[in-house]
Amino acid sequence: MHFLQSDKFEQNKEVIILISIILGILVFATVLFFIWGRIKPTNQLKELKMRTNSWWVMASIFVLATILHPVVSFVAFGLLSFAAMRELASISKNVRDDDRRVIIWCYIAIPVQYFFAYKGWFNIFIIFIPVIMHVWIPFMLVIRGITTEIGRSMGVLPTQMMLTIFSLSHLAYLLSLPEIPGFNAGGRGLLLYVVFLTEINDVFQFVWGKLLGRHKIIEKISPNKTWEGFIGGVLSTAALAYFLRFLTPLTEIEAVLIGFTIACSGFVGDVIVSAIKRDIGLKDTGTLIPGHGGILDRIDSLSLTAPIFFYIVYNLHYA
Amino acid sequence: MRSAFLAFLYSILMRGFLRIIVGVKYINKEVISKEDQFIIVSNHNSHLDTMALMSSLSFRQLSKTHPIAAGDYFGDSVTKSFITRLFTNAILIRRTKDGSSENPIDMMSRALSEGRSLILFPEGSRGEPEKMQEFKKGIGILLQKHPNIKYIPVYMRGMGKVLPKGEKLLVPFDTYVMFGEPSTTKAAEIEEIVKEVEGKIMELRATFIKPITNSEEE
Repeated sequence: MHFLQSDKFEQNKEVIILISIILGILVFATVLFFIWGRIKPTNQLKELKMRTNSWWVMASIFVLATILHPVVSFVAFGLLSFAAMRELASISKNVRDDDRRVIIWCYIAIPVQYFFAYKGWFNIFIIFIPVIMHVWIPFMLVIRGITTEIGRSMGVLPTQMMLTIFSLSHLAYLLSLPEIPGFNAGGRGLLLYVVFLTEINDVFQFVWGKLLGRHKIIEKISPNKTWEGFIGGVLSTAALAYFLRFLTPLTEIEAVLIGFTIACSGFVGDVIVSAIKRDIGLKDTGTLIPGHGGILDRIDSLSLTAPIFFYIVYNLHYA
Repeated sequence: MRSAFLAFLYSILMRGFLRIIVGVKYINKEVISKEDQFIIVSNHNSHLDTMALMSSLSFRQLSKTHPIAAGDYFGDSVTKSFITRLFTNAILIRRTKDGSSENPIDMMSRALSEGRSLILFPEGSRGEPEKMQEFKKGIGILLQKHPNIKYIPVYMRGMGKVLPKGEKLLVPFDTYVMFGEPSTTKAAEIEEIVKEVEGKIMELRATFIKPITNSEEE
């Protein structure tokens, strides 16, 4: 019994370190902006404060969902996928009014996909959405019998499922990976590692861009993205990936390369969602309603980094 | 006992279901908690409308707030009428005049005199998904008779997509319930009052930037 408990503590030590780091960053940002606000309040600061507040909420929810029972984590990620899918499906330009009875199948696929992740049934987990649902959704559209603009729905619905369900479910699957001898933090460590690096990479790119940003990358889609911000973000994230590698079974060189990959794919995810939002007209007007930002804004980079990180780690250490 | 049942149903079960599963987002909901007696006036696209509005009320308000429902639809059989009354506190009215039953306006007016609150859909029926119809003049008559009672304009969008008229399958979509400022009417004529209320709801509607369905009129 005594043995078991000390084992458990050992197992959680790495996770506790990272949670302390997250807490430290949030406290630091909150105090910094508070003092800054006392000295010289600006409009930009107000936005930074609002962002920090929502980071507090998201970080608490995420950390709780990660350290509680695995079932809680699976349900939490499933609900996140559901809310993100619903958000995309609610935008009229994406789907036709007649597709409502087909969209229900997209929702039904969520608990199924997360059940496969929970059970750790890898082979069906990786084909369920990219293969089975890619056939099933167009078939259901055909059965409805309305062919006007059916091609668009056939393309849009499965893509949305990939972006919101397939990709995010890889975060949950990390918790189902088998234990590796000599690697203590387990799936939780990997999960915290990829989510933390992805989100901090967004912050790094934002901060470096603000400090040094001159040369725009793709002005038409994301006017705030600069080469300076991007390169600064990639380097900082890679460095952090190296120092946090105690959460993973990765070697030193692997950790640095994964840091690079997360930073680059996070950037790609960000601009993909920006482009989608620009197409549906949300970008020009902020959000659908002032002060009610979407879930998609928060998970845009994660939906690309999660599967890429998963398959690299899986093939290096679990296959 | 009954108010405890309603409170449990709406504050916990229904609110959770609407927020987490259906995706209902309440905007500016705080305005309602301060009011004692009111008439909620809203556009009407779905059976969910009443549930969404009831779920926004506090414990205290729930037991004395009555949605106005069509007796010829919800009261046409004993079971339907029983279920409607049990779950919603509804006052059932006849939409067509047949002379046999009490005048609907009198029923609503009496409830207001007793200090109760109402939920009213002046469009009369749910109509086409996400389209607004012209307001009936009942709300005008009521506010003219009770000029001291505040009305609260509410605009709901998306309900007609989640559960449109004639559909049995509920499909979750992001849905918004937007509350306007409670106010007493300034107009004196019935037509002017109806116009004023309708205008307030149209104002709320204009704050939404993008149309939610492709068929929604501009």
